[in-house]
Amino acid sequence: MKSSTKCSMLTAAVICALANFSVVAPAQDKETVVKNREALMKGQGKDLGSVKAYIDGKGDQAQAEAGAVSLTQSTRKIPDAFPPGSGGPNSDGKFAAKPVIWSDWNKFLEIQKNAVSKADVLLAAVKSGNKTTIETAFGDLGKNGCGACHETFREKLQD
Amino acid sequence: MPRDFPREVTRLTAALAATVLAVGGLAARAADTALAARGAYLAAAAGCADCHTDRPHGGRLYAGGRALTTPFGTFYAPNITPDLETGIGQWSDAQFLNALREGVRPDGSNYFPVFPYPSFTKITDDDARAIKAYLFTQPAVKQSNRAHDVAFPFSWRFLQNGWKLLFFSPGPFRPAPERGEAYNRGAYLVTALAHCSECHTPRNWFGATQPSRFLAGTAHGPDGKAVPNITPDSETGIGKWSDDDIVTLLKDGQTPDFDFVGGAMAEVVKNTAQLTNADRHAIAVFLQSVPAVRSPR
Repeated sequence: MKSSTKCSMLTAAVICALANFSVVAPAQDKETVVKNREALMKGQGKDLGSVKAYIDGKGDQAQAEAGAVSLTQSTRKIPDAFPPGSGGPNSDGKFAAKPVIWSDWNKFLEIQKNAVSKADVLLAAVKSGNKTTIETAFGDLGKNGCGACHETFREKLQD
Repeated sequence: MPRDFPREVTRLTAALAATVLAVGGLAARAADTALAARGAYLAAAAGCADCHTDRPHGGRLYAGGRALTTPFGTFYAPNITPDLETGIGQWSDAQFLNALREGVRPDGSNYFPVFPYPSFTKITDDDARAIKAYLFTQPAVKQSNRAHDVAFPFSWRFLQNGWKLLFFSPGPFRPAPERGEAYNRGAYLVTALAHCSECHTPRNWFGATQPSRFLAGTAHGPDGKAVPNITPDSETGIGKWSDDDIVTLLKDGQTPDFDFVGGAMAEVVKNTAQLTNADRHAIAVFLQSVPAVRSPR
């Protein structure tokens, strides 16, 4: 084999590898991305739970505040948890991230930013200790933050 | 002045009559407003706007056009604004009731059961009239109905007569007084207005819901999406949920593990969030009392 052919093959291989790397995350990475994303969402569920426990008089304010602080952080991490190419079923196959997340990324970001500001409102409410305000903020974040995103961008695959 | 007396009386009578008429008119208008307000609540419970508004394409409220994909083809919900030409503005109460009760269009032909008249047949006449009164207070939108994209032979409306003979039992909701008020209110909301069964009960080959698997969920729901089992089965249904868990889901869309429902149910929650807590609780009471059905795994 001539050295120029070798060279061009090598170049092509490098280009392919680079292209492959930049366009589609390798399989192993995607799995990790999905797992981390699930952990993020499950963590949010847990944080919401500690706020709800305080609303219901079953938990204390400090824990609720910790949960709310965590929510203000985790809602900000959502865009990074959805890199392009990471769509499809989650690890138990019950839900899927829909392609429309990336085809309508701006709308996705709009809802995410909404969720961030609602989480900020919830944190302020938890600090105030006023349960009526907390309950309103809690419902707003859940329904119009989490729920609004799931309505458009998440698909139920299996019961 | 005796001569003027009769004229005075006449005038007085006329004035009185005018007052009575005016008051009567006001009362009638107040009654109309109250009827429409009641209708607004019932329309929310029934989720009319969800199918009859093409929200995915920014369509006008109740003007129709939303595509509903089924195994039989794609249906486009019609315009139910009071527009005289393209909506239901010329419909009588009887025609409106006939649509809900019998699944029959004003021209006498049949609706396809994508319009959930098998559930709506249970709506009381009073409630149906209130819903119509409410719809008639909404802005009229001129928007022609889009023809359904359904293949032969399903496209033949007269074949629906056979379907109805086999699968449709018309008639209003019959309460079971011995089961209490909450149960009956819940049963009415679930089976008639909110027509939960239309998505949550699996259908047979003919597209009719299977009574033996009432609310047991299906992998092949609307738009081919999975719909969960909401019977009290402890493993595959919502048997581990409390009444409050169900109320919270209907109010905030939140499940007991702090997930938030998406897809079509997120739309439904926008409706159930408008209900009174008593009505949401009634739904919970009824759901807890239906037969538990285990989903195949």
